[in-house]
Amino acid sequence: MENAIGVRTAPRKKKSQSTFNMKSQLPTLTYLIAASALIAIVGCEQAPPPRFQANMVTMVSTETSDPYQQEIANVLAGMFGTPDKPYAFPESGLNQQQLDLAAGSAYSDQEGVSHGLYRKHCVHCHGISGDGRGPTARFLNPYPRDYRQGVFKFKTTYNNGSKPTDDDLHRVMVNGIPGTAMPSFSLLPGSEVESLIEYVKYLAIRGEMEQKLADFVYNDLGETEKLDENGEPILDEDGNEVMERIPLDPASDPEQAQIIKDLLAEVVLPWQEAADSVVVPVEEEIPADDRTAEVIAASVAKGRELFYGTKANCFTCHGPTGLGDGQQTDFDNWNKELNAFVNDTQQMAESLAEREKAEEISEEEQAAIERDYEILANRQAVADTFYPIRNAIPRNLRKGVYRGGRRRIDIFSRIHQGIAGTPMPGVGSASPGAQGTLTEAEIWNLVDYVLSLPYEELSNPQPALTLNEEPIAN
Amino acid sequence: MRFNHSNVGLSLRERLDFSRSEKPTMFSLAAMLLCMAAAAVGCNRPADLGKYANLGAADKIRTALVGDAAAAGEGEAEATGTGWATIRGRFIYEGEPPQMPPYQVNKDAATCAPGGQAPQQETLVVDSATKGIANIAIYPRKVSRVHETAGPKTEPFVFDQEQCVFLSHVFAVTVDQPIEIKNSDNVGHNTNITGQNSFNQTIPSGGSSPFTAQREEAFPVSISCSIHPWMRAYMLPRKNSYAAVTAPDGSFEIANLPAGEEIEIQVWHESAAGGNGALYVEGDAAKELKWNDKGRFKIRLEPDEVRELNITVPASAFGG
Repeated sequence: MENAIGVRTAPRKKKSQSTFNMKSQLPTLTYLIAASALIAIVGCEQAPPPRFQANMVTMVSTETSDPYQQEIANVLAGMFGTPDKPYAFPESGLNQQQLDLAAGSAYSDQEGVSHGLYRKHCVHCHGISGDGRGPTARFLNPYPRDYRQGVFKFKTTYNNGSKPTDDDLHRVMVNGIPGTAMPSFSLLPGSEVESLIEYVKYLAIRGEMEQKLADFVYNDLGETEKLDENGEPILDEDGNEVMERIPLDPASDPEQAQIIKDLLAEVVLPWQEAADSVVVPVEEEIPADDRTAEVIAASVAKGRELFYGTKANCFTCHGPTGLGDGQQTDFDNWNKELNAFVNDTQQMAESLAEREKAEEISEEEQAAIERDYEILANRQAVADTFYPIRNAIPRNLRKGVYRGGRRRIDIFSRIHQGIAGTPMPGVGSASPGAQGTLTEAEIWNLVDYVLSLPYEELSNPQPALTLNEEPIAN
Repeated sequence: MRFNHSNVGLSLRERLDFSRSEKPTMFSLAAMLLCMAAAAVGCNRPADLGKYANLGAADKIRTALVGDAAAAGEGEAEATGTGWATIRGRFIYEGEPPQMPPYQVNKDAATCAPGGQAPQQETLVVDSATKGIANIAIYPRKVSRVHETAGPKTEPFVFDQEQCVFLSHVFAVTVDQPIEIKNSDNVGHNTNITGQNSFNQTIPSGGSSPFTAQREEAFPVSISCSIHPWMRAYMLPRKNSYAAVTAPDGSFEIANLPAGEEIEIQVWHESAAGGNGALYVEGDAAKELKWNDKGRFKIRLEPDEVRELNITVPASAFGG
């Protein structure tokens, strides 16, 4: 109370003093206001249209030089267009009309058709480039999906690099993801949902292509010896070979054009094959809907045994009571990449500091150190843009909230194949026809147990659950 | 609580009175500050990293890519030479071999660290007697021809784990070669393979799971276990079996490489200082091979030649 008064009175004194001085300068002040108002209004009108941002983690990790970064951006724009004018490259299998409806600025035309759906519904979390870094992303947990790795968690296909089917993406769009900030878009007309799904695939394919191009530049382009017409290296005055940069320019290099089309085919193929990669549960093993309470209880008991057994190993991560408090130090693919980037940057800084301590530093070494400091500065600038990196926390199974859906088949999919991009492994067959760790009957038992877990009393005795959590080495 | 609330209310009202009493100047001051803030903040976008597309260049690229201008012919090197040759040698660590600390075992200690003794880490394994460096992958990036003995392997590769350590720390396989992922421990593991051949399955105690890599990788990809986060291994799937991994004494041999033509060899180590695990070695021998900072050198072999490569690697080639 006293504090409140104190705070209140102090500024009053200060302010009245300062306003007294200001009064004499009123005309100047007015001009200043007018000028800054003008800047405020006009300045922002000239904002450029949204543009795709480069994946800087990729660019800096592969030490892609500025000219190559520019060329990669150009190739991507050639293949995929811009956020206002997307392009469905013929071999991408994408639908131009749906992309057009989803892209660009948000408005409704005279017929009432909504345009710019992605910017209307998605961009504030998933970002213009689909990098999961829209303005609200920082405040969300979990962070919005970064599509650019082309990895999606909740799908019915094999976890061997298979993509989600359109149905899988559709389910996420319509149901949302419970327990996260991803809402349901079930109120949108079906055609709009389909357009958005197409646009998400477009951003994913574009993102993967960016990675492939950076890898191609790293692996096959770069500096090479300049050759004369006889194929002999040209030497400079000091007798060293003259180096030249091989540009990434498919417009003038048909061989590069072919390689780029092959790379696109590699990215697109799994999307086209997704529908053929669906895990189809064996019909006879699917539990009937009209099981008696006794049958269900028996299945739950079996599932419970598996959950805490060393064959399925669920408890090692989901914890001895299913609270998700087991192994919690791993990362999902997205955070893992950023974490590795930060660690490598830190290591580089340390080793550079170490190198500088050397008693004698040759001119050559000095130049190398300076070059490395430039690389380090680039890395640090990128690392500074990261949101806090988070561990992948196993799901608390006692909440009864299932991100990938709570139908029995949803839980079955999660257990059978694991969750792509996360530490959650599968226990079913890794590829069609392969032997799985568990039979499908056993997986259905686990489904029953997982679905019963929220209603199981915590005080139930836990068999054989002594977990050694003491670090014993070092 | 209630007392507090009313107090806040009072202070608010007072503040309003206060601003009213000095309305003209206070208002303009506030307005000015607001406008200036808007002017300063509104247009000050975060510094953009990276490049934006040049749309003119993009148009040209689109025309070229959509048209049928693309040339025929694969990216594989053209066969120009004849005969076959071998490279072999050793990687020797320069200076005092590093001591590997034990793994930080914090789980399943009875299995993973029997008797309280955790196995040693393998991030840089140097043999104390010979100073040979193990687990360096060395392989040709592209070959124009493949000798009949260097084609895809068909015998199954057993990838086992014991004491919560992958028994093959760095290994090369060929595309489509059957791999049996085994678990000889009495605790469960999961095997999480990254890269283009992704795989993440639970391997029960005493059990196994089949796996084949279907795509070639340019560099070894990491394999880990989420349950025991210290576990790490690296797999290099290639289309041919020319890939070698150095033995504990640092030795390697790649037999029956195509002779008479230039081959680019990639050298990789998980702890190498270069990007993507590129092992970069300086010195006269390396200079002669034009060993670059991507861990690559070029070599041209005569038919039936056996080239000896003995390479001394300084500690500085490894980062941390």
